[in-house]
Amino acid sequence: MKKALLYIALTVIAFFMLTPLLWMLATSFSRDSVVVSTSLIPKNFTLKNYIEAWNFPRVFSDEITLGTFFKNSIITTFFITALGLFIDSLAGYVLARKRFLGRKIFFYLALITLMIPFYVVVVPMFLIMKNLRWINTYQGLITPSIASGFGVYMFKQYFQTIPYELEEAAKMDGYSDFRIYFSIIIPLSIPAFGTMAILKSMWAWDEFFWPLIITTDIKMKTLQVALTMFRGLNVTQWGLLTAGMTMATIPIIIIYIFLQRYFVSGLTAGSLKA
Amino acid sequence: MIVCSKKEKINYYFFLVPAFLVFSIFIFWPLIQSLYLSFFKYNIININTPQFVGLKNYNFILHDQIFWTSIVNTVIYVLGTIPLKLLFGLLLALAVNSKFIKFKTFYRTSFYMPVICSMVAVSIVWSLLFNPGPNGIVNIILSKFKINPLGWGSDSNLSLLTVMLLGIWKEIGYVMMIYLSGLMAIPQDIYEAASLDPVSSFQKFMYLTLPLLRPTTIFLLITEMIGSFQVFTPIYVITGGGPGYSSTTIINYLYNKGFQEYSMGQACAVAYVLFAVLLLLTILQNKFSKSEEVSYD
Repeated sequence: MKKALLYIALTVIAFFMLTPLLWMLATSFSRDSVVVSTSLIPKNFTLKNYIEAWNFPRVFSDEITLGTFFKNSIITTFFITALGLFIDSLAGYVLARKRFLGRKIFFYLALITLMIPFYVVVVPMFLIMKNLRWINTYQGLITPSIASGFGVYMFKQYFQTIPYELEEAAKMDGYSDFRIYFSIIIPLSIPAFGTMAILKSMWAWDEFFWPLIITTDIKMKTLQVALTMFRGLNVTQWGLLTAGMTMATIPIIIIYIFLQRYFVSGLTAGSLKA
Repeated sequence: MIVCSKKEKINYYFFLVPAFLVFSIFIFWPLIQSLYLSFFKYNIININTPQFVGLKNYNFILHDQIFWTSIVNTVIYVLGTIPLKLLFGLLLALAVNSKFIKFKTFYRTSFYMPVICSMVAVSIVWSLLFNPGPNGIVNIILSKFKINPLGWGSDSNLSLLTVMLLGIWKEIGYVMMIYLSGLMAIPQDIYEAASLDPVSSFQKFMYLTLPLLRPTTIFLLITEMIGSFQVFTPIYVITGGGPGYSSTTIINYLYNKGFQEYSMGQACAVAYVLFAVLLLLTILQNKFSKSEEVSYD
């Protein structure tokens, strides 16, 4: 009996968690009407909304479609993730495995960056971009986010678990440090790279505040910022709206479903205090 | 152990250069410059060079009614969302972790879905669901219970609540995941040992599980508090801070000052006030958490 109650409660809660998303999906496939549908199954199935949503921003200029914003988001996310993985792991590598002066200080500095709220530094960051003339550029969107103290920390922790013998053998063969990093450490650390790749890319995709202030030109806006343009639509265009929202959310959900196992381990790795 | 020459050791610093260059340019330097700028009047539209005004920015802010409204709203948001998030997250984690339940992956995934969706998209969907007037989905459902349509985002009494509901809904799955990892770290023999005495499940929970979850709870409290204090996106998207300033939070206020009015000096002052508040809270939390540590060995 207790079991049944538990199942019912869990299912009801799962329903509440998913309903807004399911409604969004259902409405995106429904034909627009003045009367709003509360059902989770599309009444008049249509794909028209997706086509219109894709072309919607044309009201601003003929060349700008939703694709423009997708492109900006993809470029930004890709470079933040790729460059970020590289830079963070480089730092994590020497911090984990090498002895040198100031090693502890650098590590603590990396951790300190995590304690400084983004909003405390955002104004000078913006001014730096302004002086570099990097407002409305990809560099402006990407560079502040490529190094993360969290990434350095995670890579350091993981690299410390790799046995030293491999490195010593490679050193005797004349490998340089960078070559060791590249040919030995990286292939052995796929789980760490996988986890960080997912975390970084999901975070970068959803970024809102920074892209909001660094892009004033509409053709440079990322998807998240551009979505806010859909806000003013009235009720007869909710199909259009939800189609846009769905298209913006789907990529991340797909990545998540495919790479779930890395995600859970990476998420919880930093949470327990030893 | 291979001994490295001094010359080789210099190479190590090169590995650190990219990351720490970024840290220095975009975090450490701006940290100092933010404080510096907070003592200047600097509106990048009107003024070309900053003018030193001492503590005038801080003075202005601390006397600004809107600033205090934003502080109050932020505190309401934090106090209103965190306890519920932690409570429901814990309950869900316990339920999903329980031996009885099958379909664990399905439940875990559905609870976690809101977390991975983009905040912007979810906020817009929320504003549709909670649309004021008879067209909002929630209002339609309420009308079936004979309740009149509520103003939600357009009602200055409800605007903050609307955003708080979104905040709770979105984060419960994350809290659940963290508690799950905490639960899974508890060795089962403890419960077996307790079963030797006549103890109820409730007692097991109160005197074994809960204390052993203390590190997890403290971690969540600190991180959620710091995060909730800086809430911005849902408010920007759903209510724009209004109506009036009923849903403006500290970061909304900072955004308005820095990127609508472009009064950089004042925005920096707000940022440092926020920084001081967060620092204080973190120190207090740390003191509180160090006072009792629990382990059963």
